[in-house]
Amino acid sequence: MHRYILRRLFLLIPVMFGVSLVVFTIMFFTPGDPAKLMLGERAPEAEVAALRAQMGLDDPFPVQFGRFIYNAVRGDLGRSLVTRRPVFQELYARFPATLQLAAAGVLVAVVMGIPIGILSATRQYSAFDAASMGIALVGVSMPNFWQGMMMILLFSVTLGVFPSSGYGTIRHLVMPALTIGTSTAAIITRMTRSSMLEVVRQDYIRTARAKGLSESVVINRHALKNALIPIVTVIGLQFGYLLGGAVLTESIFSWPGVGRLMVDAIRQKDYPVVQGGVLLLALTFSVVNLGVDILYAYIDPRIKAQYK
Amino acid sequence: MAKGRITVLVLVAVLVAAALIGCGTQTTDVTQKAENKDVLVIGMPGEARALDPQATNDQPSARIMKQIYETLMYQSPALEISEGLVSEYRVVDDVTYEFSLPQGIRFHNGDELTSRDVQFTFERMRQVNAPGAFLVAALDRVEIIDDYTFRMILQFPFGPFITHLAHPATAIINERAVGELGDDFARNPVGTGPFKFIEWRSGDSIKLERFADYHGQQAASREVLFRFITEDGSRTVAIETAEADIIYDVGPQDFNSLANVEGVNSISSTGLTTFYMGFNVQKQPFDDVRVRQAINLALNVPQATNVAFRGHATPARGPLAPTVQFANQDIPGYDFDPDRARQLLAEAGYANGFRTSIWTNDNPIRIQYAEIFQEQLSQVGIDAAIEILEWAPYLDRTARGEHDMFMLGWVAVTGDADYGMYSLFHSTQFGDAGNRTFWANDEVDRLLDLGRRSPDPDERAQAYQRAQEIVFEEAPWVFLAFRNELNAHRAYVEGFTPHTAGHHILHQVRNR
Repeated sequence: MHRYILRRLFLLIPVMFGVSLVVFTIMFFTPGDPAKLMLGERAPEAEVAALRAQMGLDDPFPVQFGRFIYNAVRGDLGRSLVTRRPVFQELYARFPATLQLAAAGVLVAVVMGIPIGILSATRQYSAFDAASMGIALVGVSMPNFWQGMMMILLFSVTLGVFPSSGYGTIRHLVMPALTIGTSTAAIITRMTRSSMLEVVRQDYIRTARAKGLSESVVINRHALKNALIPIVTVIGLQFGYLLGGAVLTESIFSWPGVGRLMVDAIRQKDYPVVQGGVLLLALTFSVVNLGVDILYAYIDPRIKAQYK
Repeated sequence: MAKGRITVLVLVAVLVAAALIGCGTQTTDVTQKAENKDVLVIGMPGEARALDPQATNDQPSARIMKQIYETLMYQSPALEISEGLVSEYRVVDDVTYEFSLPQGIRFHNGDELTSRDVQFTFERMRQVNAPGAFLVAALDRVEIIDDYTFRMILQFPFGPFITHLAHPATAIINERAVGELGDDFARNPVGTGPFKFIEWRSGDSIKLERFADYHGQQAASREVLFRFITEDGSRTVAIETAEADIIYDVGPQDFNSLANVEGVNSISSTGLTTFYMGFNVQKQPFDDVRVRQAINLALNVPQATNVAFRGHATPARGPLAPTVQFANQDIPGYDFDPDRARQLLAEAGYANGFRTSIWTNDNPIRIQYAEIFQEQLSQVGIDAAIEILEWAPYLDRTARGEHDMFMLGWVAVTGDADYGMYSLFHSTQFGDAGNRTFWANDEVDRLLDLGRRSPDPDERAQAYQRAQEIVFEEAPWVFLAFRNELNAHRAYVEGFTPHTAGHHILHQVRNR
């Protein structure tokens, strides 16, 4: 198991290198001169040229990319062209808010999604099943920004129970977490239901029932555990995705996360922040995926036996 | 089985812990307004880049720095110039100004403001190539006479110099703080203003506190919290729910609805931003003044402005907003007259019109103008295609003169006609510097030079008035609109007067 984890961690190196190459290439060929951006439109051409030379922007692509990788390995992702702060600091300042929102969102999604999915599966074709699948379909289809605005209208403007935007207290967290949590819950509900439906038709479930086990034991101990693998996969993917920053939700609720930082950086052509942000995103996604794979082993001993 | 349960419990615990990171650490809960009347909460559309006046020249930063730092001269919300940090000044000759500082002005770190800080400020501005350094490009050196007296000596006479000393980019900084903090100064500012810096929560807010040793009248509010609420709609909700006491830059679409919200006062005021459509006069047929005038006459600018700005802009008649010093209010403007436009086009040899293009970036207001103009130009036979470009290539390519017609704006940030005209109409300013029409006129060059160099306000006024008349007649632009600044505050807020340049002063603003 440990060897497997180590091997996976080593695999992160080529993945991160590949991501860096793609991001750097896109940014390299995107129009717009970082030196001019830093000095402003009014800067004399000579000063822009001097800064370009100083920043090494006149070097060929492989040299610039090599320098970027060399610095990145040492933890130096460069400085923001806009704030002039180290990119690492910019990301570090925003990541807790993103982590908090992603975790709260996934928590909401799991707490809502798995029980509803199980109930739907065990009462297939019932009114509850139809209603929950209908609501889940709405949840998946409903744009986050619209849902966020509706919640603001109801809970902030009309009822005045939650602040409409901002960061810092649990009350600030409720609406953004519900906004991203409910759409993720809808996905988890659907996945739980279909996975459970598949499992409850298996022979061993029939055997468990034949043994006289109570229905709750059959469902919770025998069926759910076997149905969990695809559900955990979806939860992991959603968590990884949310760690990249739920841009729209962050914007509507003025949540100071990585997503908003990245969008602002793209808008302002702040290349170092975009590059650093994408690298962070790739890294968190890879780590979450690794976590999910490790989790498989704890859920299913057969998988653990394969990890060598 | 027990192991599985423990795993699930641990996972849930991790998620809960992660979800609660940072919760409850904020000292100012913005929802508790009723108990926190002493905290003035401002909803801003953008985050500051840096709080070092020599590191950036952007509006969100300036709006916060205005409370922390002070300038030698003071510009009122109505743009009148008077003494700021200095107690008095005198013009020694065309290129020499002498200033006196009062004794006892303290920086937030306890240091007393002296002439040395002033000298350091302007020397550093040049050394670090500050974005606002162009404002004092005429300055040769600062000579210290004693701790409280200094002279500023210019390389050449520069009329708007005193006005420029009121711009936030020329704020006076503390030499010791800059030396001690180095790069961190931009996140730990030290000024002489009525509020001192407390905390910057990245992406969320900046908190300032009343400076107890302020040399003037104490700030009316104990704290000011600037919150970064980028979405127009979210900012509007924040003022509706009283989570913010004041919001800046209300979206035009929200402004009208806010007028009906009880307890909210919305303010519309003319700003310093000019919107225009420029012609590339190096290209045919725009090298012919009759064609340029014809297009001005063919367009119903007030109608288009009303649509594009939803009624929150003043149609322009000339290049300078009426708020800018030396704006010529007597320019008649071009009336909508398609018949006269067709006649002028025929005289210029384009009786059957011609094909051309309107360039714009992806700014929705500019695109809307372009679409309306496309239709109106077709009425006089001009077939104009619309090309929408990304901002960076848009600036690059218009600077190189690849365009026919283009939509752009200009903010006369200093409130002086020199800033509002020199870069846009002087023949030395082609391309990137600002003159993207490549229009040149010897008489206008002479007048703009005169206005720039003369210290005599009357002489300057005459020069700029005449220059605007020529620009109007020669029509290198279609003069579109002056954008209104839209702000709103709760009715219980006292003392808020929007600054024409957008750097609102919060010194005496408070919640009743």
